[in-house]
Amino acid sequence: MNLRYLTPVISIAASLVFVGIMLAVMGINPVEAYTVMFTRSFGSKFGIAELFVKTTPLILTGLAVAIPLRAGLWNIGAEGQLYMGAFAASVVALKMPLPDLLILPTMFLASALMGMAWAAIPGFLKAKFDLNEIISTLLLNYVAIHWVEYMVYGPLRGKEVYNFPFSDLFSDAATLPRFFGTRFHFGVFIAILIAFIVYYILTKTDFGFSVRVVGANPRAAEYAGISRERVIIYTMLFGGALAGIAGMIEVSGIQLRLRPAISTGYGYAGIPVALLASGNPILVMLSAALFGFLYVGGSALQTTYSVPVAVVYVFQALIVLFIIGGNSLIQRRG
Amino acid sequence: MRVDVEAVITSGFIISLLASSIRAGTPLLFATLGEIVTERSGILNLGLEGIMITGAFTGFAVSFLTGNPWLGIVLAGFAGMALAFVHAFFSVTLKANQSITGLMLVLLGLGITGFFGRDYIGQVATYIDPIEIPVLSSIPVVGEIVFRHDPLVYLALLLAFVIWFLLFRTRYGLEIIASGENPEAADSLGVDVDRIRYLSTMLGGFLVGIGGAYLSLAYAKLWTEGMTAGRGWICLALVIFSGWMPQRAILGAYLFGGLDVLSFKLQAVGFGVSYHLLAMVPYVVTIIFLLFSVIRKREAFGAPASLGLPYIRGKRY
Repeated sequence: MNLRYLTPVISIAASLVFVGIMLAVMGINPVEAYTVMFTRSFGSKFGIAELFVKTTPLILTGLAVAIPLRAGLWNIGAEGQLYMGAFAASVVALKMPLPDLLILPTMFLASALMGMAWAAIPGFLKAKFDLNEIISTLLLNYVAIHWVEYMVYGPLRGKEVYNFPFSDLFSDAATLPRFFGTRFHFGVFIAILIAFIVYYILTKTDFGFSVRVVGANPRAAEYAGISRERVIIYTMLFGGALAGIAGMIEVSGIQLRLRPAISTGYGYAGIPVALLASGNPILVMLSAALFGFLYVGGSALQTTYSVPVAVVYVFQALIVLFIIGGNSLIQRRG
Repeated sequence: MRVDVEAVITSGFIISLLASSIRAGTPLLFATLGEIVTERSGILNLGLEGIMITGAFTGFAVSFLTGNPWLGIVLAGFAGMALAFVHAFFSVTLKANQSITGLMLVLLGLGITGFFGRDYIGQVATYIDPIEIPVLSSIPVVGEIVFRHDPLVYLALLLAFVIWFLLFRTRYGLEIIASGENPEAADSLGVDVDRIRYLSTMLGGFLVGIGGAYLSLAYAKLWTEGMTAGRGWICLALVIFSGWMPQRAILGAYLFGGLDVLSFKLQAVGFGVSYHLLAMVPYVVTIIFLLFSVIRKREAFGAPASLGLPYIRGKRY
């Protein structure tokens, strides 16, 4: 069997062993802990619904990282774009007097535009001034998170939330339909549909072609008359829109209101999701599902053993590091 | 609400702002100096945030368990060095993409400290307290601003000059700079580029770890998950802002330390802007500073020419 396909499997196994050791250090039996992770994820319809629900934002943030990455750009700002998208969707849900049928589509559009606008800043600065997009996208995450906090402590704080920093609950017309008596919501379908659309755009259109050329060989792109600046800005806008939509789906499908900490690092998790999938939109869904499982399992560990959800970050980092290490070992042998 | 200007001045607002800017800038200075050494050798370590938080946690936990904050500072340095070693292994030995490894170090640091840090939230450790330097501390105004800090503030300042000396006045420094500028040439002159890059990355990680420990043991005097709050990223920007020059890092670090404390101080005197809006300022200003730095000419600003590129003997990029 080709070692290349084996690397991810071995990497995941190695990460499980490493985190198992960490659990053991904390006095938790790792075998029991992993059993809990599995049974809570796959043991009931609620668990399986949660898998879909946690995978959904990861598909979108994974794509938000993957699209600019195809052009050689690091979008570390999906977290902030998600927050800004959630903010825009919430303003529509809470403040705009619209006919019921138009509310969700308007929220969707607003979140995509807001995520785009937020990603436009680092995209523009990169294209015009070659400003390091890793630092700028990341710093804007903190600005976005503080902005949402400002909103829920101030202008958008609800009337019926006592002293909590929450907005009021959204009306029914502003929440995504749920199914099977679980939290499985319509956003799951939106994310999957978007992944296929992105796949089509990246592989079958001129735009997708120019993105790949710029990513593979910026100089060749120049000779071919492809504007690198335009590709930088467009891919960032595209990524930002998807992360923004993830924010809308989180507030209108899960939280049902705006509040701080709407995302437990979904934006950052988009990086390993995209890397594991090598930027392929179809594979992004698979790697998002893997990380979605880690999130569901992670919160099962939290409720059972009060292990902090931060353990999910350890998994994410280790899987990617092991894969890089494995690939480079293979390359050296070959 | 209007700010009472007279009250602000008489209450020593400016003095206390400047004094706390120096304290808040000290962790940034340690980390920026560390990253300057690393980047000068040609290795880009984006993992500062993860190394800093690991230092903050290690320092706090060691001080809590042993009662000795200085041991905490030293072990935090070694914890930072250990993470930096991982980065060096991937970047130098495996020639992997340095951006990816650095980003994963951030997740790793935040994850491990969040995991093991649970039991230390809300605990009280032994902290490092300010000292009053005899005679000098009683100088009016200046004494209050400059001479009443903890020893690490002065150590960081001293370190800026030590690193300047190391880089520009020793053979070892020459080898570091050569490895970052032109590894092929350095190699052909007998410099062990891989070894230099390993050592510089690990020395850098050591200092970044200490910067993190300063946060938990001397500045904030507590441990919380994710307490570095983006400081590692601000330091990456400070490295660019300082033009990879240790002495210029001092100004940048204190300036951003000042921005950090300004929001708290303005709140305290009843400045009528939301804390959450003021808290955005350091991040926005960092981006603006970065923009000014890159608009000026890159050569004049001294980014190591081979920064972030792996060096493989006999292979040109």
